[in-house]
Amino acid sequence: MDNEHITDNEAGRSESVDTGVQWQRLSVIAILYFTFSNLKNLAQGLIYVVPALAVTANITDNIHSNGTYIGILVLMLSTSLSGVVSFFMYTFRVHNAHIEIHHGVFSRRFTNLPFWRIQNVKIEHPFYYRPFGYALVVLDTAGSASEEANIVAVPNNYAQALKKQVLAFNAQNTAPEPQENEAQAPVTQDSDETVLNRRSITDLVIHGITNNRVWILLGAAAPFYDDVFSRISGWLASKGLQLNQLVGEQTIAWWQFGLYALIIVMMLMAAIALISVGGALFTFYGYTLSKQDDRYIRRSGLLNKQEVSMRASRIQMITAKQDWLDKVLKRVNLYFEQNVSTQQHGQELMSPNKLIVPSVTETEALALAKEVMPNSCYQRHDYMTISTRFILHWSVVGLAVPFGLFFTVGIITAHLDIVAMSISVCLLLLGVIGLRWWRWGIATDDKYIYVRRGRVGIDYLCFEPYKIQELVIQQSIFMKRRKLASIKFVLASGSVTVPFLPEDYVFSLADKVMHDVESTQRSWM
Amino acid sequence: MTGISSSATTTFSNAQLDPDSMPAMAALRLTDVSPRYRIVNVSLALCITTLLIAIICTLRFQPFFVLPEPLLLAFPFVLTGIITLGVVWVVYHVLADVRVKYSVREQDLNLQSGLLFQTLACQPILRVQHVEIKRGPLARLAGLASLQVFSAGGALHTFEIPGLPVETAQQLRQFVLDHKVLSAK
Repeated sequence: MDNEHITDNEAGRSESVDTGVQWQRLSVIAILYFTFSNLKNLAQGLIYVVPALAVTANITDNIHSNGTYIGILVLMLSTSLSGVVSFFMYTFRVHNAHIEIHHGVFSRRFTNLPFWRIQNVKIEHPFYYRPFGYALVVLDTAGSASEEANIVAVPNNYAQALKKQVLAFNAQNTAPEPQENEAQAPVTQDSDETVLNRRSITDLVIHGITNNRVWILLGAAAPFYDDVFSRISGWLASKGLQLNQLVGEQTIAWWQFGLYALIIVMMLMAAIALISVGGALFTFYGYTLSKQDDRYIRRSGLLNKQEVSMRASRIQMITAKQDWLDKVLKRVNLYFEQNVSTQQHGQELMSPNKLIVPSVTETEALALAKEVMPNSCYQRHDYMTISTRFILHWSVVGLAVPFGLFFTVGIITAHLDIVAMSISVCLLLLGVIGLRWWRWGIATDDKYIYVRRGRVGIDYLCFEPYKIQELVIQQSIFMKRRKLASIKFVLASGSVTVPFLPEDYVFSLADKVMHDVESTQRSWM
Repeated sequence: MTGISSSATTTFSNAQLDPDSMPAMAALRLTDVSPRYRIVNVSLALCITTLLIAIICTLRFQPFFVLPEPLLLAFPFVLTGIITLGVVWVVYHVLADVRVKYSVREQDLNLQSGLLFQTLACQPILRVQHVEIKRGPLARLAGLASLQVFSAGGALHTFEIPGLPVETAQQLRQFVLDHKVLSAK
C-alpha cells in the first residue's frame, strides 16, 4: 500500500507530513471505517422506513419468507462492499500546505483545504483502530459543516505529525497579529503539555447523576426497547406485580396503589441515573484538559478516544452552568465556547466548538476560567439586576391570556378543579418568572462582560467585549416610556441577551463596547 | 449617498475621544429607506391575500363538483380569517416600513426597525465576513435591493438593510468592501 510511503517519509525528513504530488491511498483498515459509517447512515435512513416495512410485512404475512432474508443479505453485502468501494474511491495528498481529498462514490467530491483555513484538528480513535495504531483526523474549518474534511485512516504518528504541522503553520501565520500573552510565545514542536485538569471516576459519576447523559446510551440502545420493556414487565410479574391488574380493578386500596407507583417511579429514576452515569463514563472516561502553548486540548472517551483542541484566542465565551443538583453538590460544568457556525445538532458533547469540563468544583471552575480569561471573576457582587418590569411584562404577555381563558372557562362551567388548576399553574409559572428575574443580571469590569442568568440553576457567562460581532438594542414602546432597554450581544458562539436594563446604562455600554471593537481592531479568532 | 464611496478613501481616523463626545448610538442621524419599499411590501401582501381569497372562492363556487358539508360550513370562517390576517399584514407594513431607517458611520452600519418592538442593530465593519445584495422579483421591478452583511454571528444574525435603491445598495457594498479594516486583514 502507499501507506508505507507515508511512514517512510516520516522517518526520513522533518516536514514528513508532505506526501508530495502523488495521491495517497488510506490504510486498508479504512475499509472498516467506511463500512461502519455506511452502515450507520443506512440505519439512520432506515429508521423512517422500518415501521412502513414492518406493517407491509405483517399485512402480506411474509416476514419469514425467503424474500426477506435475501433482501437483508443483499443489504448487508452491499454495505460491506460499499466500504471497499469507498476505500478505493478515496485518495488524498498533503502538499504545499494544502490538504486535498478526492472522495465520494456516486457524487465525486474534491476538497482542497489550505492549512490556514483549518481551525481545529481533532484526532479520533474508533475502537477498532486502536489495536492497530491508526487514527482518524478531522479537520474543522470556520466555514460550513460540509467543508469539514476527514482523513479517514492514517497511522497514529502521522496523524500527530500532521496535527503539529498544521497548528505550527497557523501559529506562525498569526504570530504578527497583536495578540495577548500566550500567543506571543513562538511555537516549538516538542514543547510539552501541561495537564490543567483531570476528572476522576467519582467526578464522572457525580456528573452522570447531576446531568442527564441518558441519551448517549439510550440513543444507542433504541432498537432494543421493545425487548427490554417486555422483559421488565415479565420480571415485575415474577415479583408479583401485575401491571394489568393494578389498573382498572378495585381490588387494592388506594395507598397500596400509591406505594406501588412510588416504588416504580423510584426504580425508574434509579435506572435512569445509572444509565446516565454510564453515559457520562462512556464519553468522559479518562478526561484530561491540558494546555500546549496557546491551545487547550481535551481528551476523553471509554471506547472511542476523543480529542478536541482549541486555541485560546478562539474561545469566545466561558459558560459556567450549575443546575439545582449541581448547586447542592457544589459542582459546575464549565464550557469554553468557540464559533458556532460549524455546529452540528445533537453532538453537543463531541462538538469541537464547545470544550466541556464536566462537574468541576466551584473553586476549580473559577481557577480554570481565570486560566483562560486572565483576571476574570464571574462570582461577583456587583451584578446589576434587571428591572421588575420584566415580571410584569411576562405576566401580561405570557400568562394573562391563557390564565384568564382557563379561569373563566372554569367559572362558567362550574368546574372548581379547572379553576384551582389554572391558579396553581399560574402561581408556579409566576414563581419561575420571578426566579428568572432574580437571577438575570449583568456586570462589567474593564476587560470583561459578565452575565448571570437561570431559573433554578445558575449560568454565568463571561466574554470579552471586543469579540462581539454585532450589537442589538431592543425597546418596546412601553419600555421606552419607562426608560428601559434590552441589549443583545451577538458573538461567534451565539447571542447573549440581557433584557429590561436602564436605557442610559444600555446605551453607554453599547457605545463603550462598539468603541472597544472598532478602536482596538483585534481579531475575534 | 455619493459621500459614502468617497469616505472609504479618506485616511483612517478613530482617535480616542473623551467619553462625553464619544459617538453615541442614541444620537445617530438616521436615513429613511426608499419609500418604494413600503409600496412593494403592501402590494405583495395585497396580492397574496387576494390570490388566497380567489382560490378559496373558486373552490367554493365552482360548478364542477360539490364540496363536502364540513368544508362548506368552514368557508365563511376561513374567509374571515384570511381577510383579517391580510388586513393586519397590510396595516403592519403601512405603519412599520416607514420606521426602517439606517445610518452609516466610519466604522459601522446601523439599522433601526420595528413597530412595537424597536430594535437598533449595530454591525461593525471590522467583523464583516462578506456582503451580498439581494433582490427579489418585486424589488427588481421597483428598483430596490437589500444589503446583506454576514458576520461570524451565524445565519440567525445576518444584518440586512432592506429597501435600498439599487445604486445606494451597491455603493454601500463597495464602501464595506473597500473599507480599510477589511483590506488590512
